[in-house]
Amino acid sequence: MASLISSDPDTSPELNRKKRKRSTVETNSSMEKHRSKRWRTDKEQQIYSLKLFDALRGSRRSGREVRVTADRVLAVSARGATRWSRAILTSQLGGGASLRNHKKAKVVTGNGKLKKQPAAIKKENRRLPAVVRRVKVLGGLVPGCRKLSLPNLLEEATDYIAALEMQVRAMTALTQIIGGGGAAPPPADHQLGSS
Amino acid sequence: MSSRRSSQSGVSRISDDQIIELVSKLRQLLPEIRNRRSDKVSASKVLQETCNYIRNLHKEVDDLSERLSQLLSTIDADSAEAAIIRSLIM
Repeated sequence: MASLISSDPDTSPELNRKKRKRSTVETNSSMEKHRSKRWRTDKEQQIYSLKLFDALRGSRRSGREVRVTADRVLAVSARGATRWSRAILTSQLGGGASLRNHKKAKVVTGNGKLKKQPAAIKKENRRLPAVVRRVKVLGGLVPGCRKLSLPNLLEEATDYIAALEMQVRAMTALTQIIGGGGAAPPPADHQLGSS
Repeated sequence: MSSRRSSQSGVSRISDDQIIELVSKLRQLLPEIRNRRSDKVSASKVLQETCNYIRNLHKEVDDLSERLSQLLSTIDADSAEAAIIRSLIM
């Protein structure tokens, strides 16, 4: 925190603190929106398509390989700003990350505390299990987010969904550019290519 | 609400208000629920729809990956065709 103040010598410390307080709140929510909105721009989609195409040209081409590459390029596009993207990259490197997750799990486990909750909040006890179950499922679907608190998990899921939607749009467009979308390419093209 | 905490504590002690607020944000994303009246949808339902939506997206990506792998096998890496495709992307 101190470094932020000292890195801006032009304004007085008081003014700086007020500025920083206001801008931190704005920055957090605007950063979220900005991040998720970024996935919706044409530019981002084009950049992704290009990178993906370049990455795929040189590699072996099983469906599985394409999926892995598509996820990697997507995660790189996130520029390390989100947990899911970092988790994808570390999991592709080889699996050392899983140890780290187990360590966190021991510390953050909430089940014991939930059971000890006083019976005074009966409504919450009855309702929580269903929601908690769904939250766990969601945590399993977003990479690297199994043991995340609900607010953070929802933030990650929001960004992850926006990114996935872009991935689908980009790969669909790429499919259409290369060869004809859902339909098989017409025979004439094959003849031209195979001579 | 007295139990309003920041994100450090994990799954325990999440207030009702927090859940409602966060779930309403999530609701904005889901194409189906966006069109309905938001008050009537439970948190559990929204979470379920979210999970289904993510699963569907994963499936689409898998299918597209399969399709792309077939299409790419017909193209040489450094051919003129590849250059044309690149120019069509941008």
